[in-house]
Amino acid sequence: MNRVILLVDMNAFFISCETSRDQSLVGIPAAVAGDPGKRTGIILAANYEARARNLKTAMTVAQAIRLCPELRLVKPDHDFYKQKSKQLMQLLNEFSPIVEPNSIDEAWIDLSGCEKIYSTPVQAAELIMTDINKRLGIPCSIGISSNKFLAKMAAEMRKPQGITELWPEQIASLLWPLPVNNMYGIGSKTADKLTAIGIKTIGDLAAVKPKLLSDMFGRSGLQLYNHANGIDPETVTMPSENEVKSIGKSVTLAKDANSPDEVRTILIKLADEIARSARKHKKQGSVIRITIKYSDFSITTRQCKINPTASGNDIFQHAYQLMTCHWKTNSSVRLVGITLANFSEEIKNRQLTLFDFDKCQLHGMHSDKHKLIQTNSLHGADDRRRLEETIDAIKQKHGKSIITRGSLLENKECSKN
Amino acid sequence: MKIICSRERLMEAISIVQKAVATRSTLPVLDGILIEAGDGVKLTGYDLETGIECNIEADVPDAGSIVINARMFGDIIRKLPEDVVTIESADNFAVRIECGSAHFSIKGQSAEDYPKIPVVEDAEQLKMKQHLLKDMIRQTIFAVSTDESRPTLNGVFFSSTDKTVEMVSIDGFRLALRRNEFEEDLPKMSFIVPGKALAEVGRILVSTQDETIEIYPSRNHIMFNTGRVKLVARLIQGEYMNYRSILPQTAETTITISPAAMMAAVERASLVISSEDRRYPVRLTTDDDDILTVSASTEIGTLREEINVSSQGSKIDIDFNPRYFLDALKVIDEDEIAIVFNGNMGPCVLKPLDSDEFAYLVLPLRR
Repeated sequence: MNRVILLVDMNAFFISCETSRDQSLVGIPAAVAGDPGKRTGIILAANYEARARNLKTAMTVAQAIRLCPELRLVKPDHDFYKQKSKQLMQLLNEFSPIVEPNSIDEAWIDLSGCEKIYSTPVQAAELIMTDINKRLGIPCSIGISSNKFLAKMAAEMRKPQGITELWPEQIASLLWPLPVNNMYGIGSKTADKLTAIGIKTIGDLAAVKPKLLSDMFGRSGLQLYNHANGIDPETVTMPSENEVKSIGKSVTLAKDANSPDEVRTILIKLADEIARSARKHKKQGSVIRITIKYSDFSITTRQCKINPTASGNDIFQHAYQLMTCHWKTNSSVRLVGITLANFSEEIKNRQLTLFDFDKCQLHGMHSDKHKLIQTNSLHGADDRRRLEETIDAIKQKHGKSIITRGSLLENKECSKN
Repeated sequence: MKIICSRERLMEAISIVQKAVATRSTLPVLDGILIEAGDGVKLTGYDLETGIECNIEADVPDAGSIVINARMFGDIIRKLPEDVVTIESADNFAVRIECGSAHFSIKGQSAEDYPKIPVVEDAEQLKMKQHLLKDMIRQTIFAVSTDESRPTLNGVFFSSTDKTVEMVSIDGFRLALRRNEFEEDLPKMSFIVPGKALAEVGRILVSTQDETIEIYPSRNHIMFNTGRVKLVARLIQGEYMNYRSILPQTAETTITISPAAMMAAVERASLVISSEDRRYPVRLTTDDDDILTVSASTEIGTLREEINVSSQGSKIDIDFNPRYFLDALKVIDEDEIAIVFNGNMGPCVLKPLDSDEFAYLVLPLRR
């Protein structure tokens, strides 16, 4: 059975999203820009009217306004774009159960075996395009082929609002004449290396000996060769929650640090972010790994096994302990990172631990030494878990920065009061 | 070096010292067993944490020493055809192993490279019956923590005062305590033995009535000596958790029960809890004074079982991890025990009816 794979690519996604809720942007040059007020931001997405005036993504706002003085600038609203993207993925799911998001604004959709429903792939693409236009108010381009790579290349060929078929038998006429830097997966550096050895078009790349490419780029060289020849065995796979094997975050420090204490607040922040992400995936990790990159770029990683957790406090405490043990004294560090791994499903019925109970009771500091651990003295992990769940809910509703730890506040204004 | 000994004895000694042989060491000589022949023959395995020496009777026509790869040595001796083995090493560390009509020739390593097991200076010693220590180990070792973030809990806390020896292990979710009264006064000492080393001690000990073992703790190491076998382990340093304050002194509910009946019921409940999915609890309830209901309900199915008990205090309805209960119930030798509950979030303790010989504390699962 021949595969039918579509790549649906939203055109000028951010600004199209803005246009969908603000009709006054229709037909005039407009762009979403980092910080339009300060004139120091950069263009994140320009609409086609603006592109006609030579505006490009990543241009500074100042440059853009020089090119197009009447340009309307809109502040980015990433939450809104994420919401639109989610709607898009749901909409695509109505056409086929196999949808793989490639980025916020594009996705592959596998229509193999749907011949009985849609007479031709083009007709299916037309239906999808109309539907997206009607329900999301956003234009898109669709590429059609028998594999993911060719579908992506096809979608790039006609923008905006284009439907393009690119079947393997059309490669020689449609794909090969294109310059090599137009190929999906080839960035400017790779393109420079290829042009340096005389490979200018995708056709040149397809004719090269694969050994040459694998010598130059390793395994990805072979993939380049296959792609240039229209071969891509990758299947459209749905992202699954179970794929999460580890959650790691790291920060390159603004200034080299000389001891774990200097990065304490950074570690708290990293631990909180990791914990929140783990809770979102309903996972608990039982391995904490730290990364320390020294100013000479040498890297130390260390890990320890812990009881399954998704609590920021636990992650921070273990990470901090590891850092303290393994931080080479008198060395300056440029990057620190924490990873939570070895996931298991979150346990609803939580096993109580002795560490949940009041610390002073455990250390016998009570006047009544043999005092029973009271059920109402259950401090620690249990309360923290409820606290973290509440904070998650608040962040979910009002945004990530609405609530934070006191220790993470930059100006501790509360103390001045 | 040349020795002549019994294949069976040699095999026994190899399997004892092999437990301390390093498996993935950066020091190649640690993959081997050290054989030292003088008055008798001594085999040694040592992974820099735990060292085990075992003496065997042998004829020693030629004193000397050699190191042989532990796995190969064990495999060869196991497959030998007859009961008398001759082992002979030459100058270039070549080793000949001969038995009946089988003649092996293998490469050994220099004994000079083999690290020395720390000498535990004969400090105060504790002497006890092997079968007693074997039991005490069996009855506590299951609750040793494997969580590396609290190193002191990775061992069994051992203490002696007056006439009492106590062994305690805690993994954060439960506690196992075993106490034994002696007739004579004991030296006052306390230390934490790594769980792995203590498990090996348990395997070396015999269950017969008369054999004894001597225990020599020093500041950093501890030696267990049965005469034939010596085990030296590095002690875990640090302060052990104050377990006395954890053990509840009050009881909201006390039931008297046959541990065997309870174990059987919890084992049956475990049948509907799949081994991969440990999220599901076993539920213990009392409605009536004389009935304890053990139940479990999962995607696979349900179990409900009633056990006759005698119960005092308030009614209970508590969830537990069945494994924690089973581990404790398995090592209890009594016919009847008391189980004390303290509400559905408080610790539960299994203990003897009229002594303080043991206490197994288990924390519930929060609903």
